[in-house]
Amino acid sequence: MVGISLGEQHFIKGGIAQDLRTDGRKRLTYRPIYVETGVIAHANGSARVKIGGTDVIASVKAEIGRPSSLQPDKGKVAVFIDCSPTAEPTFGGRGGEELSSELALALQRCLLGGKSGAGAGINLSSLLIKEGKVCWDLYIDGLVISSDGNLLDALGAAIKAALTNTAIPKVNVSAEMADDEQPEIDISDEEYLQFDTSSVPVIVTLTKVGTHYIVDATAEEESQMSSAVSISVNRVGHICGLTKRGGSGLDPSVILDMISVAKHVTETLMNKLDSDISAAEAREEES
Amino acid sequence: MEYVNPEGLRLDGRRFNEMRQIVAEIGVVSKADGSAVFEMGNTKVIAAVYGPREIQNKSLQKNNDHALVLCEYSMAHFSTGDRRRQKNDRRSTELSLVIRQTMEACILTELMPHSQIDIFLQVLQADGGTRSACINAATLALADAGIPMRDLAVSCSAGYLNSTPLLDLNYVEDSAGGADVTVGVLPKLDKVTLLQMDAKLPMETFETVFALATEGCKAIAERIREVLEENTKQLEYRRAA
Repeated sequence: MVGISLGEQHFIKGGIAQDLRTDGRKRLTYRPIYVETGVIAHANGSARVKIGGTDVIASVKAEIGRPSSLQPDKGKVAVFIDCSPTAEPTFGGRGGEELSSELALALQRCLLGGKSGAGAGINLSSLLIKEGKVCWDLYIDGLVISSDGNLLDALGAAIKAALTNTAIPKVNVSAEMADDEQPEIDISDEEYLQFDTSSVPVIVTLTKVGTHYIVDATAEEESQMSSAVSISVNRVGHICGLTKRGGSGLDPSVILDMISVAKHVTETLMNKLDSDISAAEAREEES
Repeated sequence: MEYVNPEGLRLDGRRFNEMRQIVAEIGVVSKADGSAVFEMGNTKVIAAVYGPREIQNKSLQKNNDHALVLCEYSMAHFSTGDRRRQKNDRRSTELSLVIRQTMEACILTELMPHSQIDIFLQVLQADGGTRSACINAATLALADAGIPMRDLAVSCSAGYLNSTPLLDLNYVEDSAGGADVTVGVLPKLDKVTLLQMDAKLPMETFETVFALATEGCKAIAERIREVLEENTKQLEYRRAA
């Protein structure tokens, strides 16, 4: 973690109280966001997102699998996050595992909805190939290369971009089959289906420092936080998931206030990300 | 299977003595003291160097007159064709050790007593020759961190398939079962610091394959030097501005 002196701590807190942070931003301003798609050649979709000093890669791999018996009409999605020691020496060995699983769980909560699969940001039914028999298993892998705070938002944005970039091969299932047999499938290597990402939410983390809260906190600012709430909101303004981190408790009215602020912030962020992603896609097609 | 066609071209269209395209960049991880990304065709590795700094784990301190060099190699889940799950497998441990020994040989550790240098290597894409790519990336990152070195340690691999010595094997060629010679050299001092080979080769063939890999190392060394010089020019330019 970041070691900072008492003076610096006061400076950070004072700046936030006066709506002028140490890097010159206002409380609700993001650092510049950079999006690049198609960075991993042998994945079905991939993207790299940089927010200031934070740098993450997300990749999507699709494999043929079997739907779970509880939800025979849905495909499966799994999120894995890895914190590379390049980002922070303490992530070496098993050091990054705790943070990795915390991030993975938070993302799962924000993107995939509840156990029933209802309300998921990713449309799980679209991953089905043949009910109860064959479906796509989506493996979403995130990798943190450089960390300077706000990892969850960056990973959320990268996953959204990677899913937009994802092309899933078209599959033809042989028509008639006995009930207990595994149907034969034919994976096309020419036709690809674009993934519908219009309902994938974006994640905004509001970090509470002192009595105020900020978006897109840097590592220094995060070290001063009392608590943080991550809210994922989709395009129509519905909340898809919510996570609170940090030790100290929050007043319920503050949480409601945070949610309305987050909803406002996501609108701008969603538009910015969408245009960045389509620009990145266009750039990739050109090259 | 035919790995070299009658015209002398390999599966990806290269000639026997041709390397894949190299892309190298310095300073990709903002928080690290030194960092670099090294790409060789589809193989892509990020290296980050932290240090020299105070020794974090005193139990690792063995020799007080030299800096302690530590190295960790990790592969991203998505780096290979099929997803890997385990993190600390034996291959990674062996590779970490090999890279650490190679880098230790070129760092002037005696200049930095009571300190530690961490080298972290993250493979983003693996398509053969990750060992070499890691060493090259580590060299660039160490140079970026301003750590004194005897020479730029560089590495390259070569193999022998269809009775032809081949430079810089990709994954398909690497898994074909032929010999695979990985060489690491200090080009200015003209010394070999790393030599590994699997499978068997007749003595005289080994000589030609080894010579080919050494030639490859020299070419990479030149490229790495160019990248470093370009970076220095940029810094100079920015200082003037």
